[in-house]
Amino acid sequence: MAEEVCHVLVCTNVDCKDRGSQDLLAALKARVAQEGLTDVVVKPYLCFGGCQHGPNIVLYPSKIWYAQVTLNDLDDIVAHLKGGPVVRRLTGKVDAATQELIFQLLDAGLF
Amino acid sequence: MNGVLFPAGHPAGDESLEAYRARGGYEAWHAALRSLSPEPLIEQVTAAGLRGRGGAGFPTGRKWALARQAEGTPRYVVCNGGEDEPGSMKDRLLLEHHPHLVLEGTLLAAYAIGASTAYLYINRLYERALARAQAAIAEALAEGEVGEHVQGSPFSIEVQTFPAPTTYVAGEDTAALEAIEGKEALPRPKPPYPVTVGLHGKPTLVNNVETLANVPAIVRQGPAWFRGLGTGDTPGTMIFCLGEEVARPGAYELPLGTPLRHLVEVCGGGLRGGRRLKAILPGGPSSAFLLPEALDVRLDHQALREAGSSLGCGVVRLFPEGTCLLEETLAIAEFFARESCGQCPACRMETGMYVALLQKLQKGQGGAALLEQIPKIGAYGKGKGYCSLISMPVPPVESAVKLFPDDFTYHLEHGRCPE
Repeated sequence: MAEEVCHVLVCTNVDCKDRGSQDLLAALKARVAQEGLTDVVVKPYLCFGGCQHGPNIVLYPSKIWYAQVTLNDLDDIVAHLKGGPVVRRLTGKVDAATQELIFQLLDAGLF
Repeated sequence: MNGVLFPAGHPAGDESLEAYRARGGYEAWHAALRSLSPEPLIEQVTAAGLRGRGGAGFPTGRKWALARQAEGTPRYVVCNGGEDEPGSMKDRLLLEHHPHLVLEGTLLAAYAIGASTAYLYINRLYERALARAQAAIAEALAEGEVGEHVQGSPFSIEVQTFPAPTTYVAGEDTAALEAIEGKEALPRPKPPYPVTVGLHGKPTLVNNVETLANVPAIVRQGPAWFRGLGTGDTPGTMIFCLGEEVARPGAYELPLGTPLRHLVEVCGGGLRGGRRLKAILPGGPSSAFLLPEALDVRLDHQALREAGSSLGCGVVRLFPEGTCLLEETLAIAEFFARESCGQCPACRMETGMYVALLQKLQKGQGGAALLEQIPKIGAYGKGKGYCSLISMPVPPVESAVKLFPDDFTYHLEHGRCPE
């Protein structure tokens, strides 16, 4: 069985973009390539609706939601993608209803 | 029929000031200046039951009263002819054919709320409407209908045209105010509403062109006469627009309460080529689809709401057999996603999510679980956003899935439109 691909979805809607999500997206792509993580796909996402807590990054299918991410957090996020621990300081910030909606949309194939 | 707005019931000829006077034009204006103070004038509009013709159907008299009661000077009136609704042409036609009717309605509104400046805010693509409106203002100024101490009264009013940006949201009341203030035409958060904090922070009345064009006849012939037309829910007449899918496209003024079938079959001549009807969008792209059985619905706010849709600003679209409603719904969703101004992230998210989801369905990607997500997206957007754009794609998207499930499941299974 093929190894499961981890989708790293970076919100690029207005709020997250204003807070630097395009830089995060580019830096994450570069780091993932540099580390040779072939089972990780980094791509933009149109919006997660968690605008007050941007920039938001959601990992799928593991359903880890990282909020208020900065470039300083990338080392820890990349470490997580390599099998390290979840970066707990970046989780649990967005309300449960929004998270549930987004996870359902992702489960339905909307990414 | 003899229309309230179009004398022939449909647009015919460029009415001159002289011709307008010959059918009672400016009599209401003179009567108001001579013997009708603002409060009784507002009471007449309220008693007539006039509702806004821009889409929302808000009671016009109540809006005028709120503007009248608001504190602060100077005050403004904006006659809203932004008209960016796809398929709508009523405001353009009124301005082109009967600019003095629109102007007289605007003057009465200005007098009612004590405004000293009025703007005819007209879609900048409407060059002829703008030229006709400017010429009408100049004629009215020359004959003392506009300007300092109109007709020897204490009332003074300046009127000017303003070429409106062509984006969809530029027709929204507060976006129009931003545009007139020289800024980008983006909706403001509300409250406060323009009646209290409008143009330059002052009380401002924003009414649609067609709404204001009804006022001179109400003043001249009385609220009871106006209520004799239309229905108790929505008195008067309304201009309905039909597109190229019917034999005789155009704008038709009909009493409210007229069956939709009369508009489609008698006025429009039915679907071009005698094709069978599959779906109806009775109130523009933000209304819910209806099935052909709904052709006997009466055209007013209440009846269309009860039928599951809305009257909107009177743009009726018809879809013949063979139309794929998924494709039509995707086109509507793409329109709203494109026209979302980007100020409110929730609107960007919701309108963008509809497009992404419908594109997946269109290509046959994903399963039936995608369809189940549609109501959740609409529920997410509820109550959010500065303006109503966020709620606009919800009725067409949700109704299309409900009424035409076969088009959606065919796409899911085959990745293309039904045969």
